[in-house]
Amino acid sequence: MESLTCPSCGAALPVRDPGLPYSTCAYCQTLVRRAEGTVEAVGTVAVLPADVSPIQIGTTVNRDGIAATVVGRVRWGWSDGSWNEWFLRAADGRIFWLGEAMGMYMLTCEYPAVLDVPGIRNFAEGNPMARDCTVKAGGKWFTATDIKDAACLGSEGDLPFPTLPGWTMTNVDFRNAAGDALSVQRDAQGTTAWLGAWSDLAGLAPGNLRQIEGWTMPRALV
Amino acid sequence: MTQPRAVTCPSCGGSIEIRAAGYTVTLGCRYCGSVLDVAHEDVRLIKAYRRAVKNFAIAPGARGTLFDVEWEVIGALRRRSAESGDWQEFLLFNPYSGYRWLVLAGGEWQFGTMLLDRPENGPRSVSWRGGDYVRGDSETATTVTVLGEFYWKIARGDEARATAYTRGAEVLSCESTADETNWTQLIPLDDSAVSAAFAVERKFVGAPQRRARRNDTDDLPMMFLFALIALLAVGLVQELVSRPRVCTESTSEIIVGAPSFTTRIGTLEVRRAYQFVTISAISSNINNRWIDLDYSLVNRQTQQSIDAYGLIEYYTGTDSDGPWTEGSTSAETLIASVPRGTYDIYLDGGAHGWPNDPSVTVKQVKPDEWTVQTSADAENPWAPPEKVTVWFTACTGGFSWGMFWLIGFLLFAVPGAMLWWRHREDD
Repeated sequence: MESLTCPSCGAALPVRDPGLPYSTCAYCQTLVRRAEGTVEAVGTVAVLPADVSPIQIGTTVNRDGIAATVVGRVRWGWSDGSWNEWFLRAADGRIFWLGEAMGMYMLTCEYPAVLDVPGIRNFAEGNPMARDCTVKAGGKWFTATDIKDAACLGSEGDLPFPTLPGWTMTNVDFRNAAGDALSVQRDAQGTTAWLGAWSDLAGLAPGNLRQIEGWTMPRALV
Repeated sequence: MTQPRAVTCPSCGGSIEIRAAGYTVTLGCRYCGSVLDVAHEDVRLIKAYRRAVKNFAIAPGARGTLFDVEWEVIGALRRRSAESGDWQEFLLFNPYSGYRWLVLAGGEWQFGTMLLDRPENGPRSVSWRGGDYVRGDSETATTVTVLGEFYWKIARGDEARATAYTRGAEVLSCESTADETNWTQLIPLDDSAVSAAFAVERKFVGAPQRRARRNDTDDLPMMFLFALIALLAVGLVQELVSRPRVCTESTSEIIVGAPSFTTRIGTLEVRRAYQFVTISAISSNINNRWIDLDYSLVNRQTQQSIDAYGLIEYYTGTDSDGPWTEGSTSAETLIASVPRGTYDIYLDGGAHGWPNDPSVTVKQVKPDEWTVQTSADAENPWAPPEKVTVWFTACTGGFSWGMFWLIGFLLFAVPGAMLWWRHREDD
């Protein structure tokens, strides 16, 4: 694995995922863009607000045939709150998002087929999404339950898009009665769709969780 | 980055540490009760209050272990509905296990878990993970007070439509607001399990409160209170309506065993359209005697008569249980609704012995003088006959205690029966 240094502060810049273009320096919050062995500072990322998430860079999950490691995180803020999205890469190169909200987790993998659904194509073209819009994805029906305009509050690790202040996106969460999840996100780079399921932390069979001060990790998760 | 987040209440200046940093959106200040928006770095005051919220069964900040997981109580709510009254909800948090609920309603605890997979709707029930849950009552739950941290926007006065679906002791609660619908699984939790896990305020420990059911638990004390007030009102009205009170008195001596005789007790004037007339008769010197008292109230104008009856009887004796007495040496007779007018009150009275009348011979010596000979005492056949003295008091007005207690019985019958029924059920 190649070894890079931060062009701003000179600290070592670990490359967890060479396939990802953006990395945040853990020491000086500089957002670095990597391309063909070169590194370029493109701005400064906001410091992540304190939280008590049990996930950290390096945490592993194993569920429904998905065995992947967390390589980056972006924190999104909206009018009434904020949430984490952790970016994961599997050994075979597949990528996943792990959304974290209300102490629950939504593990999804990319599902581009749903972008052809007229309601979602309409949304991808910049139009608003109707609440209660229903779509079929992966053989299951979903209903749009949650539509949020979010702004990036900060980031860490390696990510597929630049997480500078002012980076925004619109997120639509679809749910169904079985606990499946579909997430459609529209940002400056385009629209992507992610399909998966809701789970509690134990259901992810996690490894290398963050040790949170003042709390004992439940035996089942160690 | 991992330092705990502390915020300053913009209303009272108190410093509050946020326990579920990154999740918490709303904070009820523990010093002043103000509700704060802490979703962003700059803390905003949603609504200022001046008094800290108290009187929760468990104080936020308490930690305890339930189902092998350590939980911290980070938020507490008091909620209310017209049907169920007040209850308390505690938000539990563990960074590795997420959120749970502890609900205290009617002295009973429930442990709540939010559902990720929602039940499927049927007409009268829902099905979830293979079980059918029967639809119960719906009610509107209003948030009354907010203390501590919550992961959603919340304020006093928030309303949600809550419907309970039950399967045995397990409940699925569906709460809907304009924005969202949430399902929570509630399972009963032993009082002792909660007390063992958390420091529960003593007055909430083992409180023998009955789970609030629709319209009963809270109503019973009120039913008793209303019955009491109604009874007092009946007594007051009866007392007022019975006035004015005028009386006449007289004394009679009645020969035991002699034929009944007639005498005039006195005269009474009834000044209202209708009044009670009470005649009380008191005798002190009777034993194993009974006295028949037939009263007649004769209206002087119309000569119409109203008749009433009284009885004095008093017996003593000794049997295998020891000495006994029965009866009373006095009798009160109440004559209801006597019309306006002046009445002469006549008594037709007779006294009798028990078990046998003494044999009495009555001779008329002069037109207004009688001699009476009794044969009860064989040794002394010429002894004077036995007489009993009766003091009569006849009054207008008077209080119908019988009616009073009858109304009292009727008024208290329903709440009393409910109380008895519940006590029996508790045993």
